[in-house]
Amino acid sequence: MAEPRQELVPVTVLTGYLGAGKTTLLNRILTENHGRKYAVVINEFGELGVDNDLVVDTDEEVFEMNNGCICCTVRGDLIRIVNGLMKRRDKFDGIIIETTGLANPAPVAQTFFVDEGVKARTRLDAIVTVVDAKHLPARLADSHEAEDQIAFADVIVLNKTDLVTPEELDDVEQRIRSINRHAIIHRTQRAALPIDQVLERGAFDLSRILAMEPDFLDGDDDHEHNEDITSMGFEVAKPIDPEKFNAWIGALLQEQGPDLLRTKGILNYTNEPRRFAFQAVHMIADGDFITEWKDGDPRSSRIVFIGRNLNRPKLRRGFEGCVAD
Amino acid sequence: MSQTKKTEFLIDTRGEHRALDAFVVAARFSRDGRTLAFALGDGTARLVPMAEPAGDWRSVSVHDGAALSLAQDINPSGFLSGGDDGKLRRISGDGEATDIASFGMKWVEQLASHALDKDKGLIAAGVGKVVHLFDESGKKLKEWTHPSTVTGLTFDAKGKRVAASHYNGVTLWFVAAKTDTPRRLEWKGSHIALAFHPEGEAVVTAMQENALHGWKLPDGQDMRMSGYTTKTTSLSFSKGGKWLASSGSDAMVLWPFFGGGPMGKAPIELAGGDGINCTQVACNPKDELVAGGFEDGLVVLADIGSSRILPVAPPGQGPVTTLAWSADGTQLAIGTENGFAVVVDFARRRM
Repeated sequence: MAEPRQELVPVTVLTGYLGAGKTTLLNRILTENHGRKYAVVINEFGELGVDNDLVVDTDEEVFEMNNGCICCTVRGDLIRIVNGLMKRRDKFDGIIIETTGLANPAPVAQTFFVDEGVKARTRLDAIVTVVDAKHLPARLADSHEAEDQIAFADVIVLNKTDLVTPEELDDVEQRIRSINRHAIIHRTQRAALPIDQVLERGAFDLSRILAMEPDFLDGDDDHEHNEDITSMGFEVAKPIDPEKFNAWIGALLQEQGPDLLRTKGILNYTNEPRRFAFQAVHMIADGDFITEWKDGDPRSSRIVFIGRNLNRPKLRRGFEGCVAD
Repeated sequence: MSQTKKTEFLIDTRGEHRALDAFVVAARFSRDGRTLAFALGDGTARLVPMAEPAGDWRSVSVHDGAALSLAQDINPSGFLSGGDDGKLRRISGDGEATDIASFGMKWVEQLASHALDKDKGLIAAGVGKVVHLFDESGKKLKEWTHPSTVTGLTFDAKGKRVAASHYNGVTLWFVAAKTDTPRRLEWKGSHIALAFHPEGEAVVTAMQENALHGWKLPDGQDMRMSGYTTKTTSLSFSKGGKWLASSGSDAMVLWPFFGGGPMGKAPIELAGGDGINCTQVACNPKDELVAGGFEDGLVVLADIGSSRILPVAPPGQGPVTTLAWSADGTQLAIGTENGFAVVVDFARRRM
């Protein structure tokens, strides 16, 4: 582009099963006096108790892309809506997209990687998943979507904690952690939490999240080779060769894309003062240089996989094989 | 364009331009050519008196939100406007805005109109999955539902058919049919813009995957036109339908619709080579000329036959979002994302 990019609009995706408290959270966001204005894209207008001229009612239209990626679906309605909202860009600070209770988050997330127009104007800030502490175990037992929604989350609002005992709550949190080790979890009642814990998190500035996790590299090898979703993180201290990394990750996503729900990494490339942020949803990947490494920061590269059938030794060897000669 | 001499742009000598401070969504000339309207992202329309473009551009409040679509009204002096407030409204040439229909929270994203004899005419509005057909007075005639949201909408040149693009293809509706059994033109994928050949020989769509798809008519034979660097959002047939101009590459891409084309023929590319994507194209209604607008704000006019390029507006005013010609082909309206709006006079000067 000939001109400097305009500031990208942060987009928050709000997922969660029916009854988990999504609408309660949305109503809080729209009514609380936080001095920010959000355009909200919803599917079930009837539930929202707020009159707001920036609420957009849509039917989720999930389209397959003919781009050689077998698992690539996008939300065609969101592409149009983001485009339309840009005509009054000065009227809001961010966009919130609510998905239906049964939605798989992949098409929403992939829309922000695949469509150039959307990519040029917005950035996916965080995927926030609201779960119901009491009913989550049952949901996980009877639906794939509940598990996917947790796997995709950057932030998890563990709601209705007043309906369970402290032991049950710990169990539920453990269960969430077994699926997604790297999300931030907030325990809430009636979805009450400071809005800045949910919105404009810059959750994709992964280093912040990764830095907060002392158990980042802890193994959970029981989950290999089965259909449960799990997450694994790897770290290498030596600089990464971008070409080797691209070759490895490209082949891995091609081969195992359907199993890999999310991949996120912060990479220390050779001879590069800036950190490289990498992320993927299934086979669709994107990466960009972000802020510089600070003096004194350990310049190590970290990558996280969340998905099914993850082979820890193979992934570790692959990542370590990207180290520059 | 590398040249040592300072490039002269036509907007400086023959243009009237304003900074409107809102996203320019669309520009249209009224059927009588007396007024030019710009529909804006702040919900207003600006009316330019063509008798005196340097005069006052009246601002009319039309939508509570952003305007999303603009068309000529059947009444020769007015316009039709669709907004994200769910309203389909009529704007008279002297600046009165009145409701035709209201669709609640649904956006009125697509608009088309066709004037018939004796002040009669048809208005089509695409609202979500439904196309609503009205007569010239705003009386509802029909309602056509599609499998997914309508992304492109146009009448054929005679006003007998309406084409609507959507996921997995195009639906052709016959306006006068007693029972609505449309013709379906199918092609898997997301179709996002639409053009009807002026002689009715083809329908062409732009697709999500940086390519065009077309159907020859009446046989429905498929045509595939690819090689774009980004999504095509603007399509325009030249006079008589000889060429189809398209955006989506770093040049204006023109496909030949003659001599057996476009199949097996290479397109011509005009005003390219600098890596900046073309965002809008508009063929002149009288001559084989095409105007092209680019992502950096540059607008040029190209002679299709000779490939000669005339610079119209310089870069720097934001991506070009709309280009429109007056019916006599002498006036070109330009709008950009940053609110830059221009009308350029190409008419021979009476000295």
